[in-house]
Amino acid sequence: MTAIPYAEALDRYRANAGGFPLRPDDATIAELIAAYHPDSTGGKAIPLKIGVNAGMLCQPQVAALLQTNALIEDVDIAGAEILNTDILVIGGGGAGAAAALTAAGEGARVILATKLLLGDSNTVMAEGGIQAAVGDDDSPQRHFEDTFKAGHRAADKELVAQLALDGPDVIRWLIKLGMSFDVVGHRPFGGTLKRKTPGGATAPRILSYRDFTGLEMMRVLREAVGLHRGIQVMDRSPAVELLSDERGGCAGAVVYSLEHHRFVLVRARRTILATGGSGRLHLNGFPTSNHYGATADGLVLAYRMGAKLREMDSFQYHPTGIAHPAHLAGGLVSEAARSEGAKLVNGLGERFIDELKPRDVVASAILREIQEGRGVSRDGQTGVFLDVPGLVAAKPGILETTLISLAHLAKKCRIDPTAEPLLVTPTLHYQNGGVAIDTHGQSSVPGLFCVGEISGGIHGRNRMMGNALLDIISFGRRAGAHAAEARAEAYSSRAGIGHIHDWQRQLTLADLPLDARGPHVFPDYGNFDLVADAGIGPRAAE
Amino acid sequence: MSDDNVSLVIDGRAVSAPPTASIIQAFSLSGGALVSNVGCMGQGVCGSCRCMVRRDGSRDVTMELGCETPVEAGMQVAFVSYFQPKRPHVYDLEALTDSWQILDAMDETFPQAKSCRHCGGCDRACPRGLDVQKGVEYAVLGDVQAAREVFTECIMCNLCTLACPERIRPNHLGLFIRRALAALTLRPQELMRRLRQIENGTLTVDTSTVDDTRS
Repeated sequence: MTAIPYAEALDRYRANAGGFPLRPDDATIAELIAAYHPDSTGGKAIPLKIGVNAGMLCQPQVAALLQTNALIEDVDIAGAEILNTDILVIGGGGAGAAAALTAAGEGARVILATKLLLGDSNTVMAEGGIQAAVGDDDSPQRHFEDTFKAGHRAADKELVAQLALDGPDVIRWLIKLGMSFDVVGHRPFGGTLKRKTPGGATAPRILSYRDFTGLEMMRVLREAVGLHRGIQVMDRSPAVELLSDERGGCAGAVVYSLEHHRFVLVRARRTILATGGSGRLHLNGFPTSNHYGATADGLVLAYRMGAKLREMDSFQYHPTGIAHPAHLAGGLVSEAARSEGAKLVNGLGERFIDELKPRDVVASAILREIQEGRGVSRDGQTGVFLDVPGLVAAKPGILETTLISLAHLAKKCRIDPTAEPLLVTPTLHYQNGGVAIDTHGQSSVPGLFCVGEISGGIHGRNRMMGNALLDIISFGRRAGAHAAEARAEAYSSRAGIGHIHDWQRQLTLADLPLDARGPHVFPDYGNFDLVADAGIGPRAAE
Repeated sequence: MSDDNVSLVIDGRAVSAPPTASIIQAFSLSGGALVSNVGCMGQGVCGSCRCMVRRDGSRDVTMELGCETPVEAGMQVAFVSYFQPKRPHVYDLEALTDSWQILDAMDETFPQAKSCRHCGGCDRACPRGLDVQKGVEYAVLGDVQAAREVFTECIMCNLCTLACPERIRPNHLGLFIRRALAALTLRPQELMRRLRQIENGTLTVDTSTVDDTRS
């Protein structure tokens, strides 16, 4: 693949600075995505062989992971400590915290188990903001329509409508917990929220706190969870299997204590999976903007227990990941930069796409430039320019007041963002599909709820900026409230991992290997081996 | 491994890595099991990779974030592992409904703040370079807006809490002020209007307006 050398590209960029011509484009959006989006050009989606969605097309690496054998066997958990709770929440990001706080607020006893520490999640990394239709020029109806269309009309309309209607109340709930939002003119009482326009929207709808909205959200949620007497947090405790009852419902989970190297059975009346997405699987060889923990653990466990999935062939590649320097590859430049007006420029010094189109369109357009030789090459890394200097010239002071994280990132890239453009390329960012849910976050498995990035159906085949932070709180609260209604119910009489025997039969019948095990729990480069770490000896299948 | 690699020690493990690698990346490349002290992997917002760093030839120990700090030859690194402070400061934000009481509530919840001995330990501990001690001072003086500003970019890594000999827990004090101010004073008017429209049923969503043909 050819590309234009950095020095030459920089000359052309400087020659055109301030007035980059937009190249005319006669490709339709459908053609652009079909020809250049990694969902089409990467590993070809294959039908799942086993499970409730057998026959459904799925990204091949994800399919391989979904069709793995369980990590543990019956004997491994014999004699394990048992904890009982009303609600088990698995995952310590925004969705898990919202679910836990809401369930505990209803009087339920909650255990929140998380693989790393409470708050270690993609939520804390979110920069741009959260959508909520609050403006007089906006409405939940518009929010619904924009979201549904940006997702290529593949989403569940009821979920999208619920998301849009919940928006304003989600913001109020967050403010009550103590989260700040940017207001115009620094007048908190009776003032006006600052609003930005996300790619694909018909009205400004992004509310934010500087460009570290997720950090502001997560530190408030983390503190609120930590201070709540009804919530017991189990840090460093990834779920390695779900517990099933006598009717195929979910009865809790087996979590593994990384600190004590032993398994704990958490029996729960309701289980809420909020384990996030799958960016750390590095699908199609892409770098990722995702948190270290995003290895699709919950997705694998839910499917093994029989939860229906959807759109598992659709992933989001965020247009502006760092391309250079190599050791920061995949790190994110928030859409806030383009939302504020930053342009994308190829190696010829020209613009090639409306920067505020939906993310899949902009990412495809960048990949087209790179594949057709109009990218910029520097030290072996290829991308296109993001014209931050032009933005700074148009909006002086923006790096100090609004795009604080961007300024910090430029410093790490060792460039002066007022003089030199960033080199960017798409980065694996979001799992569009996931576990099918209803408006309470209930999956097709009794007793099992799924909220946040693990769920599917809200964003269709492409998510808009700001709808993830909204969805985690909207559906996290819904699932927490609904699950808490079960707090007076009796526990199911059985809670075990019997369902994996049926799963192993299916694997064998489909000629799938029994020695491939999942979930991964950590990325490959985490150098983690559960069998060795837990000292559970050789597996039967090996 | 290339000749350009630098050698250092991370949590007692001899590590060789390219000089562009972060401490976290170097640890992973060395084959170490990376199952804690890791989070956002380079964005510097989760605080989980907090570590003590001593550079070759220096007697000083600095507090840094392992995901943002490039390795150097001769560096010695120790992660501040799994730091779980007890919570001596318990409060219920929902119970704080009278904004006139905000200073009393702060004093009641964080009584140690008045005892700050200005040792500067918190400032030295902060990997973000915040003026933590100044923030505590503003809080004690009742300048809550100034205190709020100091902690704007705090990532809650808890290193200042670990460093404070008076058990003030500065980052939690800062967050208390930030939360109280937002919860008690942030009332955007268009949000209030929109909530009323939704709650009295005059604003709904009609899902039949869009056509379902996938694009």
